[in-house]
Amino acid sequence: MTAATAQGPNAAELRADARRERLVLGALAAPGLLLIGVVALAPIAWLFWLSVRKGDSYTLEHYARLLHSSYAYSLQTTFELTFLVTAICALLGYPLAYLIAQARQRTAAILLLFVLFPVWTSLLVRCYAWLVLLQRRGLVNTWLADAGLIDLPLRLVHNFTGTTIGMVHIMLPFMVLPLYATMRAIDRDYVRAAANLGATPSQAFRHVYVPLSLPGLAAGIIIVFILCLGFYVTPALLGGGRVMTWSMQIERNVTYHSDWGAASALGVVLLAMALAIFWAVGRVIGFNRILGGR
Amino acid sequence: MGEEQRRDGEALRRVHAALNHGRTAVPARAPGRPRHIRTREAAIGEASGGERGSGLPISITGIGKAYGAFKALDDVSLDVASGEFLTLLGPSGSGKTTLLMVLAGFQRPDCGRIRFGDDDVTLAPPHRRGVGMVFQNYALFPHMDVAGNLGYPLRLRGLGRSEIEERVRRALDMVQLSGLGARQVDQLSGGQRQRVALARAIIFEPRILLMDEPLSALDKKLREEMQIEVRRLHRRLGMTTVYVTHDQREALTMSDRVAVIDKGRFRQVGGPREIYERPGSRFIAEFIGESSFLPVELRGCEAWAGGARLMLSGGVPAMASPLLVLRPEKLRVLAPGEDGAGLNVLRGRVDELVYQGESTLFYVELPGGARIAARQAASASAPALPGVGGEVALALAPADTILVPDDA
Amino acid sequence: MKTRSWAILAATCAAMALGGAADAQQRSITISSWGGAFQKAQREAWFNLVEKELGITIKEETTQGIADVRAQVASGKPTWDLTTQGYYTCALLEREGRLEKLDPAIVADPGVPKELKSDHCMSQIVYSVAIGWRKKPFGDKQPRGWDAFWNVKDFPGGRSMRRHPIYSLEAALIADGVPMDKLYPLDVDRAFRKLESLKPHVVVWWASGAQSVQVLQDGEVEMVGAWNGRIQAAMADKEGRGGPLAITFDQQMMVSDAWMMPKGAPNKDLAMKALAIMMRPDAQASISKYINYAPANTKGYDTGIITPEMAAGLPNSPQNVGKGFTLDVDWWVKNNDEMVKRFDAFMQR
Repeated sequence: MTAATAQGPNAAELRADARRERLVLGALAAPGLLLIGVVALAPIAWLFWLSVRKGDSYTLEHYARLLHSSYAYSLQTTFELTFLVTAICALLGYPLAYLIAQARQRTAAILLLFVLFPVWTSLLVRCYAWLVLLQRRGLVNTWLADAGLIDLPLRLVHNFTGTTIGMVHIMLPFMVLPLYATMRAIDRDYVRAAANLGATPSQAFRHVYVPLSLPGLAAGIIIVFILCLGFYVTPALLGGGRVMTWSMQIERNVTYHSDWGAASALGVVLLAMALAIFWAVGRVIGFNRILGGR
Repeated sequence: MGEEQRRDGEALRRVHAALNHGRTAVPARAPGRPRHIRTREAAIGEASGGERGSGLPISITGIGKAYGAFKALDDVSLDVASGEFLTLLGPSGSGKTTLLMVLAGFQRPDCGRIRFGDDDVTLAPPHRRGVGMVFQNYALFPHMDVAGNLGYPLRLRGLGRSEIEERVRRALDMVQLSGLGARQVDQLSGGQRQRVALARAIIFEPRILLMDEPLSALDKKLREEMQIEVRRLHRRLGMTTVYVTHDQREALTMSDRVAVIDKGRFRQVGGPREIYERPGSRFIAEFIGESSFLPVELRGCEAWAGGARLMLSGGVPAMASPLLVLRPEKLRVLAPGEDGAGLNVLRGRVDELVYQGESTLFYVELPGGARIAARQAASASAPALPGVGGEVALALAPADTILVPDDA
Repeated sequence: MKTRSWAILAATCAAMALGGAADAQQRSITISSWGGAFQKAQREAWFNLVEKELGITIKEETTQGIADVRAQVASGKPTWDLTTQGYYTCALLEREGRLEKLDPAIVADPGVPKELKSDHCMSQIVYSVAIGWRKKPFGDKQPRGWDAFWNVKDFPGGRSMRRHPIYSLEAALIADGVPMDKLYPLDVDRAFRKLESLKPHVVVWWASGAQSVQVLQDGEVEMVGAWNGRIQAAMADKEGRGGPLAITFDQQMMVSDAWMMPKGAPNKDLAMKALAIMMRPDAQASISKYINYAPANTKGYDTGIITPEMAAGLPNSPQNVGKGFTLDVDWWVKNNDEMVKRFDAFMQR
C-alpha cells in the first residue's frame, strides 16, 4: 500500500507530484504560521527576554523581587478573586445556559442577545454603572434602606465584594457561550433515552445531561479563569484600592517605576500559571474535549 | 395467527427462564433503589395482570395531537395484540413518529387514551412506562462504554453489580457482541451500535418495545441482515413491538400487521399480504409496491377498462370512480397464439424496456394512450418479449384484478 | 504626533542642508506637557508671550510621563527642548543624569523656594494635597488638619486617601504629632502604625484625581486627602449627592510640576531664554488666570495680576503658604521603591 512498494513505470513521477503538493500546501500555510509567530510568540519571547535582563547582562533580580510579601499578597488576592468569580460564573452560567439551550430558537436568540449585550458595552461604563448601583448612596442601598431592610448602608463596593460582583458580570458571557454551544449540540434523544430506560428527570439530568455538557463547562471555566487571572480594570475601579491583583502590580511597575524588567517577570509568572492551570484541567478532562473535539 | 402467538409465548418463557438463570424468587428490594421503579418482576407482573413473559397489549383510543393548525394525529385508534409486531408505515410527516412519541410518553396528546394491558398510561411520564425504545440515531450515551450503556437501566432498577455484569454479558451474547462491553460507543460500527441500542432496549425485559426507524442509517445489505435479526429476536422474546418505518419493503418483511398512516390518520391496517394484495385505496396501492392505474368505467353491472370488459372474482364493487390496480409482476405476457381465455387481456405496444437482472421491466402504451408497467421474470420458459414498438398482449387473472377508489 | 515628529525631522534635515543652519534652527523650540486644559493655559500664559518676545514659534507635544523622557534621551537625539514633569520625576531624572543643567541665573531667582528647584529642575506651578470634606455631616465643625482627619470620633464617617505612600506617610506622622518642619527623614515605622489605625475607616484608596473627588461628590466618604485643584473644581461644580464641599489648606503638603531639559536638547540656548521669560513673576502670575494652579515663583503675588480672591484659593499665596509644608522630594527619590512595596503589603494585610 505504501509508496515504497509502488513499482509502476510512473511511480517516481507520482511521488514527485505528491511532494510538490505538500510543498504548495506548506507554502499556503506559511503566512498563517508566520502571523502566529509574530503576533503571538514573538511578544512572549520578548517578555521573557526583558524579564531576565538588566542593562547588558542577565539577571534573576526581577524574579527575586517578586518574593517580597506585597507580591505574595497580590498573588493570593488574584487567585481568591479568580476562584470565586469562576465558581460563581459556573453556578450562575450553567442554569442560564441550560435555560437558553432549552428555549425555542427565537427566544434563545433574544436571551443570548441579553447575555452578550454587556460584551458590547464598554468595560469602563459597566464598572461605573456598578459603582452607581452599589455605592453607599447607590441604588441598591437606597432601595434596601427605603424598604426598611437595612439601617446602615452596606459596603458593597470599593472592596472585594464589589470587585467580585463586577467581575462576575463581565465574565458571565464567557461562561455561558461555550456552555450554550455544548448544550445546544446535545441531542434531546439522550435525555429521552435515559427517561425511557427508567431515569427520573433529575436522574436523567445528572447521569446524562451534565456529563455531556462538561466539555462546555470546562471550556467556560478555563476561559473565565484565565481572563480573571489577568484582569485589571474592574479590580482597579471597584476594589477601592484595597484589592490589588497581579495585573495591577504589573501596571504599577510599568507606570510608576518604568520598570519593564519587574513587570515582565510578573507577566511571565502569570503566563506560567495560566499554562499550568490549562495543563492541569487538560489532564483531568482531556485536551481534545476542551479544544472542541468530542 | 393465534397459534403462532402461542408458540412465540412459549419461546419467550424459555428465553426469560434462561436470562434469569432459573431464579424464581422475587429479590428483596435493594437499599437505595429508585422509589419510582418497582422491582423488575413486579413491574412486569403487575402491569400486565397476565402471566409473566408475554408482551402487553396496547390500546390506542382516539388520540389527537395538533401543532397549531397542523394535525399530526387525527383521532387515531388502534389495538395492538400481545406479542404482536406492528409496523407504523407512512411518508415523512404522516404522524407515525408522533404516535410513537406519544406511546413512549415523550409527547402529550391533546386527547385520547393509551393503555398498556389494563393500565391507563396516558398521563404516566416516560420513566414510569417501562417500555423499551430504540431511537433512530440509537441515542447511545457517548460518555459511557457499551457495558455502561447496557447496565444503565439495570442500575436505575437497583440491581447489584454482579448481576448487572452477568446480564450485560448475556445481552451482549444475545446480540452477538460478546466481549465488546469495554468498547467506547464511538469505536463501534453502525451495525454494532444498532445491536447495542437493541440490547439496551430489551435488557430490562420490557413487555413493549418501540422502534423508531432503527435501521434507516444502515446500508442496504446490513439493513436486510438486521431486519431478520430483529424479527428473530422478537420471536424469541415475544414483546409487543411497534416499529416505525417509511420503508414499505421493510414493513412487509418484518410485520405481523402494518398500519399505513398518512396525514395523521390510519389509511389501512392489516397483514402485509392483505395490504399488498388487497390495497383499499389508490394511496395504499401507490405507496406500497409499484402500481399502474387504469380508469374503470362502470356500465350497469359491468366494469370496463383499457377497452375490455373486466372479469372480477368478487363482482363489481360499489364505488364512485374506481381504478384498476395493475401490479407489474401480476401481468403475464401471452405467448403468440395463446388466447387468454378466462383472463383479462390488455393489448398495446412496448414503449420502453429496462433490463434489471432477475427481471425485465417494460412499459406498454395502451390504445387509449395510458401507459402501464409490467415485469417479466428472467426465465427460459417465459415467452420472448417483442422489441420497443412491438405489439404485446398482457393477461391478468380475475383474482388479481383489483378495483380501488381514487382517493389520491 | 508621529507625523509631527517626521515633519520636524524633515524640516531639520532641510534646514541643515541649506547651510546657515544655526540661524534657521533657532527659529523654533519644542515643548512637551500634559496636554488638555493645563497645556492650553500654558499656551495662553507663557507660550504666546515667549513667541512674541523672541520672535520664534513653540511647537507643542504631549507627554505621558517619565518613560517618554527616558526614551528621548536614550535615543541620543531628543526632539524636546523643554518638558513638563512632576517634580519627583525631575529629581529622579536628575539622579539618572538624563537632564541638561539649567542656566544658574534662572535657578538663582529667590522667588522660587529652594525645595522646589535644583541645578536641573525648575518648578513652574505649585499645588498641594489638602483636606476636603462634605459640609453636611459636620455642620460648623471644621477639620483643621490631619489630626482631625484621623479623629473619627468627632468627625465620623468614611475617609479616602491616595493609594500611595507619598502624602499618606507624611499625613500619618503629622496626625501623630510630628511637627511639619521635623518630618524628614520620615519615621516610617511610626507612620505605618498610625496609618494602621485609620485603615478601617478608609473606604476608598483613590488611584486617580478624578476618583479622589468623585467619592466625595457621591457621598461615598466624608473626608478626603486630595489635590487642592480637584477639590476646588468639585466645590465649584454643581452639588452631587454628597452636598456642598469645603477645603482647608491647614497642614497642606505642597508639591510642584517642573520644567526640565532632556540631555542633548536641540535648541538649548533658545529654550533657556524661553524658560527665563516663563519664570518671570508676571508670566508666572498670569498662569493662575487660566487655570486653578499657583505660580511657583512667589513674586508673582506681588505683580497685582493675582487678585486677593484668587490668592485665597492658591496653596502658596502669602496667606496660605505658611499653613503647610513642601514635600521633600529628595527623600522620596531615595526611598520610594521600598516604601511602595511596604505600602502595598500594608494595604493587603
